[in-house]
Amino acid sequence: MLVAVSTDSEAERDVPASPDVANALLQRVAAGDQRAFSDLYDIIAARMLGLVRHVLKDHSQSEEVVQEVMLEVWQTAARFDPNKGKAVTWMLTMAHRRAIDRVRSAQSSRDRDTKVGIRDLDREFDSVSESVEIRVEHERVEKALSRLTDLQRQAVELAYYGGYSHSEVADMLSVPIGTVKTRLRDGMIRLREEMGVAS
Amino acid sequence: MSRSERPDADEFDYDRFGDVAAELALALPPVEPSAELKARLMARVAVTPQLPADPVPGAPGADDAARSEIAPVGPLSVGPVPVAAAPSASGQDARADSSAENRARARWFARPAVTLTAAAAAIALFFGGVATANLLAPQDDAAQQLAAIVAAPDVQTAAAPVAEGGSATLVSSASLGLSAMVFEGLPELSDDEAYALWYITDGTPIPAGLFSVGGGDDDGRVVQVLEGAFHAGTIVGVTIEPRTGSATPTTAPIVAIPTEA
Repeated sequence: MLVAVSTDSEAERDVPASPDVANALLQRVAAGDQRAFSDLYDIIAARMLGLVRHVLKDHSQSEEVVQEVMLEVWQTAARFDPNKGKAVTWMLTMAHRRAIDRVRSAQSSRDRDTKVGIRDLDREFDSVSESVEIRVEHERVEKALSRLTDLQRQAVELAYYGGYSHSEVADMLSVPIGTVKTRLRDGMIRLREEMGVAS
Repeated sequence: MSRSERPDADEFDYDRFGDVAAELALALPPVEPSAELKARLMARVAVTPQLPADPVPGAPGADDAARSEIAPVGPLSVGPVPVAAAPSASGQDARADSSAENRARARWFARPAVTLTAAAAAIALFFGGVATANLLAPQDDAAQQLAAIVAAPDVQTAAAPVAEGGSATLVSSASLGLSAMVFEGLPELSDDEAYALWYITDGTPIPAGLFSVGGGDDDGRVVQVLEGAFHAGTIVGVTIEPRTGSATPTTAPIVAIPTEA
């Protein structure tokens, strides 16, 4: 179970184990099925909020972003192309983009620790050690991250988990922006190999 | 397509690494959203038309156009009639947008037994209004049930004015056997009176609950989930009765809303 508070009835919320379920639901959503949308929300919302809040920090703003993204999912479901990837990936990509848009558009309210990209990760992971499935998932990702060079890993963590731009990451790591771009790209390619995800 | 393909982009192009990024995202601890989030969202979904599969086939920048069609949805961006939120608000590629809008709208109206009028606005207003937080607190169960009804595949929505002032919106689902009335601007009654809900089937009224309108700042907004089972074709009526209720209506209904069988 992937939710922090686990019950038997929530076993079906295991998103990574059920990408096909999400795909099938999204296709029904595209046909205007509100019940399917409700089910889709149930399996993705907590994961989406986990991602968005990690980037944004502010809980109520993060809920707003999730609401926006899910409404966009409803509106544009027919434009999802299952041949180009999984529904879960499509939705989380949208959420990550929106979270970053929100950070960029409200720098003043960006109440974030500048080292959040790296430090908070371990703290957050530790806080959910009681959830076995997430721990396993986390360890898989952590293991893959450990195969990167230090600069690759820091760039990925700051940029993706922290939501920082190339230039911000460059400032924080005191390296040229071009270096950040190549390390990020190389890091993502290496992660793909390490995690064995379909490309 | 994505911003980061521009040479000067300061943002990493995660689109190219969506699979990897999703793995990174799923390794984060989930955060359970509030119940209100889903209730608000389902209410929005019920009144938001969907966009067609491909607005401008093959056109460059189709994705950007698609994004611009999405009306911004803030917590307070209720708008007068959310359903009519024109996708072409940005003015970008108005021709394609209006075509997409028409098709989306046609699709919306093609759905059976959905009355798209003030009803939709009333529900969205209820959920999206400034007072939502205050309203949902004491009526959490009602909001949850209303969200479930709104999410039901066979949801029916109908609105009518109330004789005493204000309006009533009935949302019902025969498959769930549930219905709820959303009132706006309902007047406060005297202490010895109450509003009574009725299911009226074949001319026989069955009591479906009593409620009152609190004074103060809620503008007569009330959500009442009816007691008892809803059946398609039933008429839902409201009368003013003594505070202790009545076995049958003793006054003329201030509003009565029929449903489709």
